[in-house]
Amino acid sequence: MTEITRRDALVLAGSTLAATAIGTEAFAQAKIAPPNTNPVTISYYNYNLASAGAGADATRELIAEFMAQYPHIKVEGVPVPSGQVLARVQADLVAGRVPDVAQLVFSDLDFAVRNLGVKPLQDIVPADEWAAHTAGMVPAGLKLGAIGDKAYGLAYVFSTPVLFYNATLFKAAGLDPDAPPKTWSEVKAAALKIKASGKDGMYPSIYSEFDWLLQSIFLSNGGRVMSEDRTRIMFGEKESVEALEIMRDMLKAGAHANIRDAESGDAFMSGNLGMILITSVYQRAFLAAAQDKFEVRAAMMPTFGVKPAKPTNSGSALFIMSKDPAKQRAAWELMKFMTSRRGYTVITSKIGYLPLRLDIVDDPAYLGEWTKANPLVRPNLAQLERLNQWVAYPGANYKQISRILVSAANEAVFGEGDVGKVMREAQERAQALMPKGS
Amino acid sequence: MSLAAEVPQSLPKRVRHADRAGLTARLSFDWLVPALFLAPAFVTLGLWIYWPLIEAFRLSFYEWNLLPTSDPEFVGLANYRNLLALTELRAAAWNTVVYTFGLLPLTVGLPLLVALMTREAVGRAGAVYRALIFVPMMIAPVVVAVVWRWLLNPDHGIINKLLVGLGLSKIRFLQDADTAIWTIIFITGWKLVGFSTLLFASAMTNIDRSLIEAARIDGASEGQIARRVIVPLVMPTTIFLGVLTVLHGAQWSFVYVNVLTQGGPLNSTTNLYYLLWEYGFGTFAIGWSTAAGMLLFAVFSVFAVAGLKLMNRQDAHVAR
Repeated sequence: MTEITRRDALVLAGSTLAATAIGTEAFAQAKIAPPNTNPVTISYYNYNLASAGAGADATRELIAEFMAQYPHIKVEGVPVPSGQVLARVQADLVAGRVPDVAQLVFSDLDFAVRNLGVKPLQDIVPADEWAAHTAGMVPAGLKLGAIGDKAYGLAYVFSTPVLFYNATLFKAAGLDPDAPPKTWSEVKAAALKIKASGKDGMYPSIYSEFDWLLQSIFLSNGGRVMSEDRTRIMFGEKESVEALEIMRDMLKAGAHANIRDAESGDAFMSGNLGMILITSVYQRAFLAAAQDKFEVRAAMMPTFGVKPAKPTNSGSALFIMSKDPAKQRAAWELMKFMTSRRGYTVITSKIGYLPLRLDIVDDPAYLGEWTKANPLVRPNLAQLERLNQWVAYPGANYKQISRILVSAANEAVFGEGDVGKVMREAQERAQALMPKGS
Repeated sequence: MSLAAEVPQSLPKRVRHADRAGLTARLSFDWLVPALFLAPAFVTLGLWIYWPLIEAFRLSFYEWNLLPTSDPEFVGLANYRNLLALTELRAAAWNTVVYTFGLLPLTVGLPLLVALMTREAVGRAGAVYRALIFVPMMIAPVVVAVVWRWLLNPDHGIINKLLVGLGLSKIRFLQDADTAIWTIIFITGWKLVGFSTLLFASAMTNIDRSLIEAARIDGASEGQIARRVIVPLVMPTTIFLGVLTVLHGAQWSFVYVNVLTQGGPLNSTTNLYYLLWEYGFGTFAIGWSTAAGMLLFAVFSVFAVAGLKLMNRQDAHVAR
């Protein structure tokens, strides 16, 4: 692992030479090239580009704007779906095709840092530039790209769980759309009323590929998926089991719709589902589908009794993968642009992610008008203040661990077996996959 | 993944020596000519089949993510243990069997029937008919999956609308654990009907017309001709498609599982290939993947050997 390849040595030698030539202290530490206008082409692995519709359009728009502003930098967008982006980056690294900038999901952070040789941004970018750019960004958000006190990725797009509800169905079921349910037991009561009026009540979209939403359900009930010291898997403990038992109970009672994550968005958009707990990214699609048919509103994540809700976030950070100082500079400029006030204006208004810069929310030059027209974003913003980190499992088997969890949660809620037993067994199997000696 | 299922190269069984008179003179080089003839086949087989197979076997005892920045770590049988401990494994193994045999009616039975019924369709009508049957084969699998997802949607899919229109209740084709696997089998098979039909049709075209004429003169009905003459004569194709389905059936369903159900609901549609992909390929966990590949190889070798035996026997039978 510590072996230095000839290419590394050359780059090192080259940058040392450059540093000596320029003779500034900053560049003796940071290898990045100074701002310049030399033509350069960088690749940008992005999963929004791989989505159909809003995410791809908005990202392409931002890249085009960036290239117009920096005519010497050519950005080649590489679309890769979020579930596959890490594997793709890894495969390309193995093949010797190093991506220059990559958008990686937060759950991949630990693996990327330990295995893909990602360097802390503070080691690449001069301290003053880093400070100037990150000033005004939500600190809780920035922390998400960090391990310990080192930021490896620049937090980019993310969202929190939002309870969207169909106000029209609420009225039809005799519920007050101005007072959406706040706790899970209120959710159950409301869902049963909607069910009685002939539609499905509620669906928490927590059972799929990424476990961030599931983690926030556990956290909200006082549980966790892993111990703080990152050595012990804990999703089979009492609090998490209890949270899933509540879901199972709602399913059996008919309050929790008996559908699956893949179809839950469609069900809500077709007006057949009263409430859905899902990523805020759906906001745009929901509003478009509901237009002239029913009214969509949003509420904060429900709580378990009096315990406060602890929303986690889905999303990603931007990583500089290139070791070439000139490309690193171009990569940094691109990352700055994507996370600028302008960047977040497009990302929030056209895709539906949260702006990591709260000063633009009411600024008429940026999101001001849009926020007025789209008050739905408010619950999501309110949750931004008390964001909890989406825990990434350590070691080479981190993805397998989260698959075991998701599979067990499905079995626990939709299956017939004892919830506690299912989760404890899963915990045991996941624990066996944790790095040895930890 | 499908090493065992490759159609064997046909190698010359015996090299004849045309000129035995010069045998002694050329004795020392006698091996060279056949060796040269065999070399390309052996080298290709070795390079593309056996070397990767041996390498995969070796890697199945290591934990490694293929990265040059980290070294493979020897973990003994841990990969096999981890795989066998997966609760989904039992469901996946059983589902693989269901896929394999569930597909047979669609990849062998129905195409044989269609080929029999359309064999007399000639001219433009026949061509159009065969083209129509073949169309699903040409559509990209992911597109097929998405189209079926919309057709089968419980809320607004046209098929459920039809069912309701007929006074029947809705079927949650992909959401109900009891129907999901059959839905995936149907979609997988639907796409393959055209391919199998084409193979049967071409096998039937190769049948000597005089045999059919002779049967007809002897007073055989069309049904008897089909049953007693045509079906036995296309038996090699039937067995070939049968073996192909047994060895590849579960693999063919992969795309539909991936796009439509992700193995769910409650693991009812997962199979060994999907499970292998889910756990092995997310991070290129090469140890997990190769261990799963080895297990599959062991199981399917048995089927492959049995299938090849059957095909050889049939070939011998037909040749006689």
